[in-house]
Amino acid sequence: MVIDMHVHPGFFQDICGDRERTEMRRQRYGLYKTSPSPLEHTLEVMDHAGIDKSVLLPLDLTTITGEVVISNDEVRTLVSLAPDRFVGFASVDPHRKDAAVELVRCFEDLGLSGLKLNPSSQRFHPGDAIMAPIYELCVKYDKPILFHSGLSWEPNAPAKYARPLEFEDVALGYPELRICLAHFGWPWIDETVMLLIKYPNVFTDTSLLYLDSPKDFYEQLFKKNMGPLWVDRNFADKVLFGSNAPRFRPVRLREGLEKVGFKPRTLENILGLNAVHFLKLEA
Amino acid sequence: MVKLKTVRLRSVREFQMIKITGEVADFVARSGVQNGLVAVITAHTTTGIMMNESLPCVEEDIEEALERLIPKDSSYMHAHFLPSYGTTGGNSPGHLKSMLSGNNCILPVQDGKMVIGHAQDIYFVEFDGLKMRSYFIEVIGE
Repeated sequence: MVIDMHVHPGFFQDICGDRERTEMRRQRYGLYKTSPSPLEHTLEVMDHAGIDKSVLLPLDLTTITGEVVISNDEVRTLVSLAPDRFVGFASVDPHRKDAAVELVRCFEDLGLSGLKLNPSSQRFHPGDAIMAPIYELCVKYDKPILFHSGLSWEPNAPAKYARPLEFEDVALGYPELRICLAHFGWPWIDETVMLLIKYPNVFTDTSLLYLDSPKDFYEQLFKKNMGPLWVDRNFADKVLFGSNAPRFRPVRLREGLEKVGFKPRTLENILGLNAVHFLKLEA
Repeated sequence: MVKLKTVRLRSVREFQMIKITGEVADFVARSGVQNGLVAVITAHTTTGIMMNESLPCVEEDIEEALERLIPKDSSYMHAHFLPSYGTTGGNSPGHLKSMLSGNNCILPVQDGKMVIGHAQDIYFVEFDGLKMRSYFIEVIGE
């Protein structure tokens, strides 16, 4: 089982009927030359990379830009088109007065499997008191949160909100809540590592390719910035495969990971088993 | 007279030679041009238009030769973040293979038909699949 934990479906043709909305997505994500693709192509790309399931992430910026960049209902629509291949997450702008109501609707009515939050583009500090009702709902419904962490290439998304240390209060205050700090919190890798080894409920993903080729960048990350056996020895069960598609091509990141030299069991965990645990797909 | 057609296709492999001889010949025959030229031109920088013999062994040799000359992993300068795209350049081999292949081919049109050698076929060649692609067929003549 291979699971891509980090896919932005803004250019899936089935939710790109409105040209202005598609252009708005290009601007919000900073993906200026990305064009819509049909479902057949998306599934072929997943097959080519050997990916069984992709986690689709919406984005609600209601109070920031007045836009829901990708809506929860659009994600639900896409999951319905290929329910064996897609896992849908929710997004709520935490500053919305009805954020909790919308999140309950996502879990109860839309059947979404987790929550994506982006402190940088949604402009909140993860430890802020306004977040408590949202975290409590995720605990109540046993849904994980995928947080953007570290550098964001979205144009209006300061990294200061998403520094890994910002998430320590969440990890500490909600030990039953599974949280994934995406992108390894790059460039603050040491902070991410500290949280991974200390808090059982903290995970990270591999959706980063900010310099060099995937092979070179992952070698730098996993073998030079970190000790060469840190992942194998210490948190082989806490790193999830994620591509950040369409920003980075899933097959390239998978090939890069396979060249790092992880132990076979570690690689198997990263590519899918850890996500099965994080998403509680065992049942 | 000038007649232009845009053809869209979806590549399903990273390297893929897609034979388009029939598509080009049909458009020439329906264009109304009796004598002139037909040009086939790709719309991309990591694809090519190639003419060669349509034998599986030749296609395999072409793929392997290009891979030997331009391996997937090398110290390509293009492998960096591209702000104008919002993505990291990961397809330098595709650009270089496209350079070797060229972006077009031209054939004569005589008596309303495309003129082509008996061993020749026209290929749209994908060097950076899987992608949504397009190419142009333009017939120019009288």
